[in-house]
Amino acid sequence: MTDWEKYQQIRREAAFTGLALLVLILFWCWAGFGLAGVDMEIGGLPLWAVTSSIGVWLFAIVLVKILLKFVFRDMPLEDGGKEGSDHE
Amino acid sequence: MSNGGNPAALLPLLIFMAVMIGIGFYVRQVQARGFGRNFVQQYFIGNHDLGGFVLAMTTVATYSSVSSFVGGPGMAWQIGFGWIYMAVVQVTAIFLVLGIFGKRVALLSRKFDAVTVVDIIRERFQSDGLASLAAFIIVLFFCATMTAQFVGGAKLFAAVTGYSYEMGLLLFGLAVVVYTTVGGFRAVALTDTCCALIMMLGIVLLLYYVLAAGGGYENLMANLHSNHPEMFEPLSNGHMPVGLYLTQWILVGICTIALPQSVVRGISYKDTASLHKAMLIGTVVVGFMNIGINFTGILAHGVLTGDLASYGGVDNIIPRTIVTVMPPTLVGLAIIGPLAASISTISGLLIVASSAIIKDVYLHHQHKQGKEPGTKQLRLLSMLATAVIGVVVFVIALTPPSLIWIINMFAFGGLETAFFWMLLLGLFWRRANKLGALLSMSGGTVVYCLTQGMGFKVMGLHQITIGITASLLFFLIGTYLDKPQDEQVLAEFFPRRED
Repeated sequence: MTDWEKYQQIRREAAFTGLALLVLILFWCWAGFGLAGVDMEIGGLPLWAVTSSIGVWLFAIVLVKILLKFVFRDMPLEDGGKEGSDHE
Repeated sequence: MSNGGNPAALLPLLIFMAVMIGIGFYVRQVQARGFGRNFVQQYFIGNHDLGGFVLAMTTVATYSSVSSFVGGPGMAWQIGFGWIYMAVVQVTAIFLVLGIFGKRVALLSRKFDAVTVVDIIRERFQSDGLASLAAFIIVLFFCATMTAQFVGGAKLFAAVTGYSYEMGLLLFGLAVVVYTTVGGFRAVALTDTCCALIMMLGIVLLLYYVLAAGGGYENLMANLHSNHPEMFEPLSNGHMPVGLYLTQWILVGICTIALPQSVVRGISYKDTASLHKAMLIGTVVVGFMNIGINFTGILAHGVLTGDLASYGGVDNIIPRTIVTVMPPTLVGLAIIGPLAASISTISGLLIVASSAIIKDVYLHHQHKQGKEPGTKQLRLLSMLATAVIGVVVFVIALTPPSLIWIINMFAFGGLETAFFWMLLLGLFWRRANKLGALLSMSGGTVVYCLTQGMGFKVMGLHQITIGITASLLFFLIGTYLDKPQDEQVLAEFFPRRED
């Protein structure tokens, strides 16, 4: 990977991480405030109390898994630029 | 609470602290063989050596402070599930900082031989003034935060064991200063890992005994349902305003990605596979801790059924719970958890504060004069700096002056205001320049501290909203008033395709 390719990849990863944050915020709003009116109980707790705690947590874990599987790529951390110029 | 002191409470703590110090000396032994070549890098960043598990644990442990274990669940006791709903936003903290800055910082640090976040800032904006200001802000706010951690831990110790505040401070306070000084970053990372594991164990233990003391889960829930129905509403009958949710997203969620003690962990790991692993593990662990401890706090309301005033405030809820529900022989084990949260934050801040003084100020000054201090001298100075900062903070914590609380109140949001845009825009926006960064860091922090100090709020929201907005405006104004950085500098940070 050249320095340029690495930088493009890192920008992509950062952008998708930001996107994941947005998705998580939306889910968080829905899982708490959105479900607060639902008259249903899980294990003695109102539905929203479960979805807004463990639900958000699990959702975040799934999001990270998706990020890691589809967006994040392994790359050498040593200075690619120097290696690159060696090859030229 | 007993006043005589509970000797059984001391033993686990003594053993734990001995192990922590042992790790410090062990790390030093192992590293001493390789110390010759690049001491500064070894001592302050552990030689780019961390694997995924340790990286995750040290990031989480540094981020989770004693207040997440004492004040937080105390609030949960009062507010109910709304508090967990708010605290859960912290699941974002680890994957955001590692996902956004992790690789960027790792690559840049290797390119410039950087050991600190300030090193990278200096290279990006080509400004010694900015770097010095950043180092100053770090040292100032970190010292205040460390003092608060010391005080929080020692108070908890005194309340739970019945021994004196000073003795608690001496026990765990000196231990953390010793192992950080001796072992450096690597010891911090390893002890942090132990601390994080102990924190989780402590949560499980406390939860178990709260459930037992309250006559089981169903009994506790029935009790809460009939006596405190508002605890099952997101807004908790007005105790939990919507504005608080919003500002918590900013203050303990999104903006934490810029905290220098978190970002510096991006320099420390071995390879990208470790980083990826840490993002996942960190998210799992931080969620477990936040939900676990606050859930325990809520359930404790079924055990401590008096009103808040009778316990003397939210900070006393968890100590009271520990004393009430735990068998005396296990009390010592139960307080290791919160104390671990305290020392792991202190160690993480201490090593970064020390690096700011040695690497960002002293070494830079020496290099500028064309001097290269010998390894022996550097080793001595680095350890000295760590020890001195540690001891100074320790002494301040014995009788904290009110000034410390004022600075501490500014610290968390102040660091975020100072570093958020500078790091985010500096590392991902080509146009960002020195004037913007300088204005943003100084102006934003001043605006934040002033509004915080005067209690000025917009729409009742926490001042971080003002600080972070002002910081952004300053950045944009400064950037567009001045030219971009030199093309030569930018080429290093933003490689062109032709490379």
